[in-house]
Parts: sequence; C-alpha cells; structure tokens
Amino acid sequence: MRPQRFWRTFAVASVLAFAACTLPAAAQAPDREAVRRGEYLFNAGGCLGCHTDVKGGGPPLAGGRALRTPFGTFYGPNITPDPDHGIGRWTEADFIRAMREGVRPDGAHYYPVFPYTSFTGMTDGDLRDLWAYLRSVPPVARPNRAHEVKFPFGFRPLLTIWKWLNFTPGPFSPDGTRPPAVNRGAYLVQAVAHCGECHTPRDALGGLDSSRLLAGTPDGPDGERVPNITPHPETGIGTWSAADLLDLLKLGMTPDGDFVGGSMGEVVRNTTSKLSDDDQRAVVAYLRSLPPIENRVTRRQNTPE
Amino acid sequence: MTRVWFGLAAIAAVALVGGFAVAEAQTGAAQQIAQRQDMMKANGQAMRTLTPMVRGEAAWNQQAAVQAATTLHNSARQIPAIFPEGTGPDAGKTDALPSIWQNWADFQAKAKAMETESAKLLELANAGDEAGFKAQFPNVGRTCGGCHEHYRAKRN
Ligand code: HEC
Ligand code: HEC
Ligand code: HEC
Repeated sequence: MRPQRFWRTFAVASVLAFAACTLPAAAQAPDREAVRRGEYLFNAGGCLGCHTDVKGGGPPLAGGRALRTPFGTFYGPNITPDPDHGIGRWTEADFIRAMREGVRPDGAHYYPVFPYTSFTGMTDGDLRDLWAYLRSVPPVARPNRAHEVKFPFGFRPLLTIWKWLNFTPGPFSPDGTRPPAVNRGAYLVQAVAHCGECHTPRDALGGLDSSRLLAGTPDGPDGERVPNITPHPETGIGTWSAADLLDLLKLGMTPDGDFVGGSMGEVVRNTTSKLSDDDQRAVVAYLRSLPPIENRVTRRQNTPE
Repeated sequence: MTRVWFGLAAIAAVALVGGFAVAEAQTGAAQQIAQRQDMMKANGQAMRTLTPMVRGEAAWNQQAAVQAATTLHNSARQIPAIFPEGTGPDAGKTDALPSIWQNWADFQAKAKAMETESAKLLELANAGDEAGFKAQFPNVGRTCGGCHEHYRAKRN
C-alpha cells in the first residue's frame, strides 16, 4: 500500500513540477523564436534608420529622423511600444493593416515616404514576426514631430487618389517558373528591403515607374544619384561578377575599389550586411536575373579595364 | 582732377588685385579638390589590387600586399590635411558634404579609424600573415564606408 501511495504522490508531484517548468516555457518559446525572426526582418527592412533620430542622439525607434522629399519634410514617428507616444496601444491587426494597406488605425492614409508600397508584399507570417519583435523593444516616451508637408499635400485624403493611381496592395507572389533563390531574392528586394524605393525612377506624382524597375535615377533621396542596378553592361551592373555583388552587399565595395556612401552606406550597414549568406546570394541571383535596362545615371566606370 | 583719376586708378588696382586673389583662391580650392580625389582614387586602386587576393581568386603576393597596405596607411594619415575648410561643394565639383566641416572632430575620428585599421593591415602584410591579412581586409573596408556614409554623397 505504502509504495503505491508514494508513486502516486511522486507522479502527481512530477507532473506538477513538469507543468510548472514547461508551461510558461512552452508559451514563451515560440514567441522568442518569433522575436528573433522578427529582428532579422527588422534589419532587412531597414526600419531603424527612418525611425531613429541618430543625428540628434535619439533612442532607437523613438522617431524624429527628418526625411526630405519633394513633397516636404517628414519625421519618422515613434514606433516603440509606448502607449501614448508610440504604438503601444496597437493590435497586431492594426500593424498588419498599416504595413499591408498603408492605413492608420483611425482610417487615415499614410504618406508613401513610409515604404508600405513595398512592405505590402511581406507575408502575413513575416509581418506577425516583425510585430513580435517591435513589441519586445523598450518603450520610449518621446512625442512625435509633425510633418512639414508642402501645400496641398498636407491634406491626407488626397492620398486616396495617389494610392488609387500608384499602389497595389497584397503579398508578393512567387513565380513558379523561376528557381527558389531568385524568388527569395525578389521577395527581399521588392518587399522587405524595398531597394526600388530608391533605385526605381518615379513619375511626376512620385509613383514608382514599374516599367523601369531598378533602372536608377538622378533624383534620389537628398539629391543623390542612385545607380542603375539592372544587369545592363554599360550603364548598370552587367559586368559585375557575383563576387563583386556579394562584396557590395557585405561591405559596400564596388568593383573599382570605391565604397558606396550616403544613403546606400546606411543600407549596407543596417541591412544588406546583416542578411544571411543564403539571402545575400538570393539577392544577387535576383538582380542578375532582371531584364537589363539602359539608363546612365552615374559617371562610374563599370567596366574594369 | 588728377587726384580723382589717381583715386579711381587706385581703386581699380585694388579691385584687380582683389579679383586675382579671389580667382587664385578658387583655383587653389579646385586644385585641392582634384588632388584629394586622386588620393582617394589611389585608395580605391589599392583595395582593388587586394580584392582578388583576399577572395582567393589570385595567389597571395606579399610584396603587393605590403605596397597596397602602405598606400592606405599613408593616405589615412593625410586625410585631415587634404580636406581644408573652403573645399566643399561651393568651391568646385566635389562629392564631399559640407557636414565635414560642421562635424570636424567626428570626420577626423573616421580618418583615425582608417589609420588604425590600415596600420594593422600593414603589420599583418609585413609579417606575411596571409590568413590574418584576409581577415583584417573587411575591417579596413568598413572604415572607408563608415566615412563615405556620412560625408560623401554622389551628386556629380
Ligand atoms: C524610408 C523611411 C522609412 C522606413 C525604411 C520605414 N519607415 Fe515606418 N514610417 C516612415 C514614416 C515617414 C512614417 C509616417 C508616415 C505618415 O505619417 O504618413 C512611418 C510610419 C510607420 C508606422 C505607423 C506609425 C504611426 O504612429 O502611425 C509604422 C508602424 C511603421 N512606420 C513601421 C515600420 C517598420 C516595421 C519598418 C521596417 C520594416 C519601417 N516602418 C520602415 C518612414 C519609414
Ligand atoms: C535609401 C536609398 C537606397 C536604398 C533603399 C537602396 N539603395 Fe542601393 N544605392 C543608393 C545610392 C544613393 C547608391 C550610390 C551610392 C554611392 O555610390 O555612393 C546606391 C548604390 C547601390 C549599388 C552600387 C551600384 C553602382 O553602380 O555603384 C548597388 C549594387 C545597390 N545600391 C544595390 C541595392 C540593393 C540590392 C538594395 C536593397 C537591398 C539597395 N541598393 C537599396 C540608394 C539606395
Ligand atoms: C574620413 C573620411 C574618409 C575615409 C576614411 C575614406 N574616404 Fe574616400 N572619400 C571621402 C570623401 C569626403 C570623398 C569625396 C571627395 C571629393 O569628391 O572631393 C571620398 C572619395 C572617394 C573616392 C572617389 C574619388 C573620385 O573622385 O573619383 C574613392 C574611390 C574613395 N573615396 C575610396 C576610399 C577608400 C578605398 C577608402 C578606405 C580605404 C576611403 N575612401 C576612405 C572620405 C573618406
């Protein structure tokens, strides 16, 4: 009788102990994984740069970075989980709608300086992971600065028309005829890392000219010349080897031994250098698979003698 | 009357000399810009020489490694001197940003970073430490990009 009771007590106790140890762990483990995956996407999406006032010494993601555009100066908002100044009161659904549809929780439209025009292509799973990461950063009570938008663009309802003309919401759909690495690269370049926001020329209304995808523009952010990164041999990256492109993504080095600067310097430091080796190779495979477009933007000698 | 003419002539002479001085300062700045761009190009050339070796596409050549690392180290030490005030975009065709002279201490620190990392590179080249040299190469590269990110923008 006695040993039996002992075993019963033991069994109950160990079940309880096991539950005590594993239940919270089981609830947290996938979460921690989601945060880790979300952090990777956060780097790939370059969220830090636009949402941090680095020059003013502001804390990460607490907003304040000035973004100058032909339509005015915008200030990246606070996206820490602070309930009053950040997005602490948002639900996951609010976040997914902002990223996928460019709509604020109160229904107003976002300006396309926030590259939701690209982020719309992110998968639901990736957006949920990104949200898990954003919930994990420390909240900062730093008030947002109002945008200084030129007339008449200060009127947000006008964005309805802009979006109708220039914006196609919806997740990226892979092309079954291409190798998986090329599709992965396309997803990273088009949706997450939004390379086209700078490298694709825009029309008069600021919409991306999809017929000249990644063909470069002399009117980049802050007046920079943004080079053609289609594989055109004379005016693009057609003569770059895969190793040249990998060095660009990892280090910022171009085949002539120069190093990219300005906004691309930041993209390399925050984004492309932090991609996994596989993802870097996928980006390279995708860029090299693009149709070459002739468009001379920079004076760079792309053909090493 | 002669006094008036004399006065006018004096003014004209002063204006002429002043004008030359301004022109002189401008060509001086243009020259300094061209010189430093040449020096930066030599840095690029040095990195380009090293790249195939670092990637393993070309055989290790200690002499070439020492030479390129020396170029980099020497030019790092000269960077503050080749960016004198008044050689920004107002003075000629340059991709150097005016913020260099607003954040001079930081600009110097970025040059110092290149000096430190290229000194290590040179040491490894002199020691014939091929593996160490290859591992140090990206650290030098990051100091190039680290400065260009803040102080150079392709506008020309
Ligand atoms: C090129 C700059 C830029 C990048 C990159 C960027 N954002 Fe933003 N973001 C903005 C701006 C500007 C706004 C404000 C838009 C407006 O007010 O219409 C904004 C708004 C937002 C908002 C809404 C905040 C609010 O209070 O309504 C969220 C959430 C957000 N961004 C998340 C992200 C995430 C996550 C990433 C990375 C995947 C990211 N952003 C990358 C510039 C950027
Ligand atoms: C914020 C704007 C911006 C974004 C986003 C951006 N780029 Fe760039 N990119 C630039 C600018 C500006 C340059 C020129 C920099 C220089 O030469 O100093 C550049 C240069 C390059 C070059 C070198 C081309 C050449 O001929 O020298 C490549 C390759 C490149 N970018 C690829 C990418 C990829 C891939 C992405 C996405 C992961 C990306 N860029 C995202 C602005 C951007
Ligand atoms: C402390 C800042 C700084 C560092 C460090 C630096 N550069 Fe530069 N570099 C500049 C600036 C500023 C310019 C633009 C000069 C101009 O246009 O007048 C420039 C221009 C260049 C150019 C273009 C020259 C031309 O006009 O064609 C090359 C190539 C270059 N740098 C290579 C390098 C390499 C390689 C390294 C590292 C080994 C490096 N730089 C380190 C600041 C720096």
